[in-house]
Amino acid sequence: MSTRKTDTGPDSPSSDALSGEPADSGVQPEGTLTRRSMLARTGATLAGGALLLGGASAQAQADVPGARRPREGSAADTGRRYAKQDWQAPGMPNRDYRPVVVPNGTKLPWKVVDGVKVFHLVAEEVEHELAPGLKALCWGYNGRVHGPTIEVVEGDRFRCYVTNRLPAPTTVHWHGILLPNGMDGVGGLNQKAIAPGETFRYEFTIRQAGTAMYHSHHDEMTQIALGLGGMFVIHPRRPVGPRIDRDFAIMLHEWRIDVGTRRPNPNEMTDFNLLTMNARAFPGTEPLVVRKGERVRIRLGNMSPQDHHPIHLHGYQFRITETDGGRIPEAGQWPETTVLVPVGSTRTIEFVADEPGDWAFHCHMTHHVMNQMGHDFPNMVGVKPGGLDAKVRTLLPGYMTMGQTGMADMGDMGMAVPPNSIPMVGGKGKHDSITMGGMFTVLKVRDQLDGYGDPGWYENPLGTLAVAATGDELRRDGVDVNAPPQVEPGAPENRRRG
Amino acid sequence: MRVHALGLAALLASGCASIQKERGHAEVTSLVEERLGRKTRWNQGRPEDAEVARHLDTLLAEDLTSDRAVEVALLNNPALQGTYEDLGVSQADMVQAGLLSNPTLEGSIGFPISGRGVSEHEFSLVQSFLDLFTLPLRKRVAQEQFVADTLRVAHETLATAAEVRKTFSEVQARQQLVELRRMVLQAAEAAAELTTRLHEAGNITELDLATERAAAEQARLDLAQEELALVEDREHLNRLLGLWGPRTQWTLSAKLPAVPEEEAALEKLESLAIRQRLDIDAARKQSALLWNALELARSTRFFGRVEVGVHTHRDADGPRLFGPTLSLELPIFDQRQSLIARLEAQHRQGERRLQELSINARSEVRAARARLLSLRLVAERYRRVVLPLREKVVEQSQLQYNAMQLGLFQLLAARREQVEAYRAYLEAVRDYWMAHAELERLVGGRLPGSSAGGAEQPQVPAQPAPPETQPGHGQHRDDGTESPHEHTQD
Repeated sequence: MSTRKTDTGPDSPSSDALSGEPADSGVQPEGTLTRRSMLARTGATLAGGALLLGGASAQAQADVPGARRPREGSAADTGRRYAKQDWQAPGMPNRDYRPVVVPNGTKLPWKVVDGVKVFHLVAEEVEHELAPGLKALCWGYNGRVHGPTIEVVEGDRFRCYVTNRLPAPTTVHWHGILLPNGMDGVGGLNQKAIAPGETFRYEFTIRQAGTAMYHSHHDEMTQIALGLGGMFVIHPRRPVGPRIDRDFAIMLHEWRIDVGTRRPNPNEMTDFNLLTMNARAFPGTEPLVVRKGERVRIRLGNMSPQDHHPIHLHGYQFRITETDGGRIPEAGQWPETTVLVPVGSTRTIEFVADEPGDWAFHCHMTHHVMNQMGHDFPNMVGVKPGGLDAKVRTLLPGYMTMGQTGMADMGDMGMAVPPNSIPMVGGKGKHDSITMGGMFTVLKVRDQLDGYGDPGWYENPLGTLAVAATGDELRRDGVDVNAPPQVEPGAPENRRRG
Repeated sequence: MRVHALGLAALLASGCASIQKERGHAEVTSLVEERLGRKTRWNQGRPEDAEVARHLDTLLAEDLTSDRAVEVALLNNPALQGTYEDLGVSQADMVQAGLLSNPTLEGSIGFPISGRGVSEHEFSLVQSFLDLFTLPLRKRVAQEQFVADTLRVAHETLATAAEVRKTFSEVQARQQLVELRRMVLQAAEAAAELTTRLHEAGNITELDLATERAAAEQARLDLAQEELALVEDREHLNRLLGLWGPRTQWTLSAKLPAVPEEEAALEKLESLAIRQRLDIDAARKQSALLWNALELARSTRFFGRVEVGVHTHRDADGPRLFGPTLSLELPIFDQRQSLIARLEAQHRQGERRLQELSINARSEVRAARARLLSLRLVAERYRRVVLPLREKVVEQSQLQYNAMQLGLFQLLAARREQVEAYRAYLEAVRDYWMAHAELERLVGGRLPGSSAGGAEQPQVPAQPAPPETQPGHGQHRDDGTESPHEHTQD
């Protein structure tokens, strides 16, 4: 019998919220949980059935937004404010679902009041660190950018208070969620915007499963660009598909934060210079840690203003199992190594992590794995500076020609740069500097794990690491490194330059 | 000033009968020295002048300073030397005025034509008598004329000194401007070189290459133009200093001094100008002498020609006669009305001219002072605010360059703009010192409390200096009770 991580700790979502993963991660035999889960599920089903059978009870009542009812104070007004809804008892973590892990992120705490899951989002300005050495004044929820991930179960009654502590009105739109029109959160269209200082209530029954998002839908250009959004994960009431061991939620976003400034520029239309996963850019991203053999689900939501992101995973083939429209039937699931996550969409991929190692997981748009790329820098590749440096130094003592061979040295040069800025590329790797930034993180698959913290760099087993070829090897295989490179006939155009 | 004029008059009265060319120049020397602290000298081709030539060479061997340039000009400016000769002319006139008109000896002899009798002869010695009465007054008029001429010459000297100072500042600034143009050229050349390399690497277009090369060529031409301007400014100074040949090889290494921390007290500059300015004093003297001339004419209006003499006469057959003669012009028709009227008009004219000069002097002083303060504000603004900001732009551009956000082109452009700002600053400082010299000229001497140009050299300040209250820009006004050509006694 295999073992897997279970969550036997208290069901308090707030402890999850703080750590981004279950607070007390012990390892228990699978059977224990299964039995518990089964019992819990049975209980829930029974409770649900009881509700359905029992009809309206005070406990199960909730306001129906927009419901027709007599005008307050009129003769027909009976004082009754609640109508019966077809929702089920709250789904509980580790009983009804395995909580998602939010790398670099948090989850929104909740409590059950009269069978309703009650959440509270506070929209406010937040100083957020996008990567070590780069902080910005963003707009977020509950002190976080992006806002904490909301996690519910299909059939839950969801009630969320939204307090606006921003200097501007705002709303919350429940992106991809099926709900009554007046709860959709489009400022002006569906509701009056929440003025600064006001608190609004959103409430509806969750009638779907899958990955959704939430974000401001008032002055979207500004508010989304400043970070007002978060993931909204809905677990199915009954498990669907193969059992999942690790479930990650990652929100993709892009920003314009000019070097030396400390606020994202919401006016930027196309020229974004900071690409993030859960609002962190490499080398600030946390790795995704998985035990070998676990089935992994990664939920990706793209809240970028303008760009789609082809997210590529090394070392595995995965299946795209969900879109934001829900579960893809098994017959329609594609094997891929890259999943395109369009703007305003979510995509979920699943795979079994059967090959240990440190595997890159990143957007394949090359400029999306750069930090604070400067677009006014001339193309210096191939330029021979000759005596230019000395000449310019008489005018500008700190000058040095850069970029003649590309950007890779950028992270290591250690030249003075403006405050609150990070190099375009460069994070520490095991073998060398990793010449990437932005939307880049590492999937770390290990045979053994001590908890789910970063296990450090992968030790490549002997003979499985690319190294410099020895002279003996070259001779053995008849490779002459000084000979002109050869090509097979059939590619006559492919001539070497020079 | 008056004391001087009086002293001068006394001096002249005591010994005006003989011509002493040096006297007037000595007075000019003392007037100039009092105002500039520098001696002037009248070069008259004497052995001592060789000494002066040697002194000139020593002055020019070292680096020229503003004061030294003024000294050279006072010793060597040919126009000034020419002006000094006016003093000789004027003094000759004065000596002339002190001389009595010469007595007239007349003689006649007559021979009998018929053969009868003897020859007759007559001799007379006649001296015009009126001179005895008019001589002192005439002498006074001539003396005043001489004093006025002396003042005028001294004024010319001061004006030349002021122009020397202005031109000196121009040369000084121009040397630095040439240096800056060289830096701009260096920046442009570096940019052009980078473009060439970028083009060789295949990274930029022919258009960019040509644009950047054209900019470098423009910078080269700008430098050539600035260098020509330096030559022209130097030649202007050479003319003022009266230099030619090897003496034009003088050097000037001191940088333009920064605008002084504090402005000299600028109150009562108008009064000071009226009190100090030698051209106003000369006009005042001119007016006075016209008055004296008028007095002279008036006091002699009923005197015609009076000639007194003795004569001896011998008739052919009579005794020898000897006796006095008196010839008296009867002022019946010509009572010098026209002369008096003319002199009256001329005197009024002189008064008006004096008034005009004084009013203009006051106005010019106010305008020059406003210009001085304004240029001072500009220069200070550059030094305290603009230059530190430009410095910061370069510094931050360098950081942005290091972060690969900007290219070398922008970095060099920032440097170029910094240099341009420094150039504008230098021009403001230069204009300040020129305005300073101009104000000194208009006030007729050094400004109160001001010293010769400070030794402090303007640098691109690395840090912004703490803000300082600027001197007021308002105009000082006199109460207007004094007449324009009188100075306030204070």
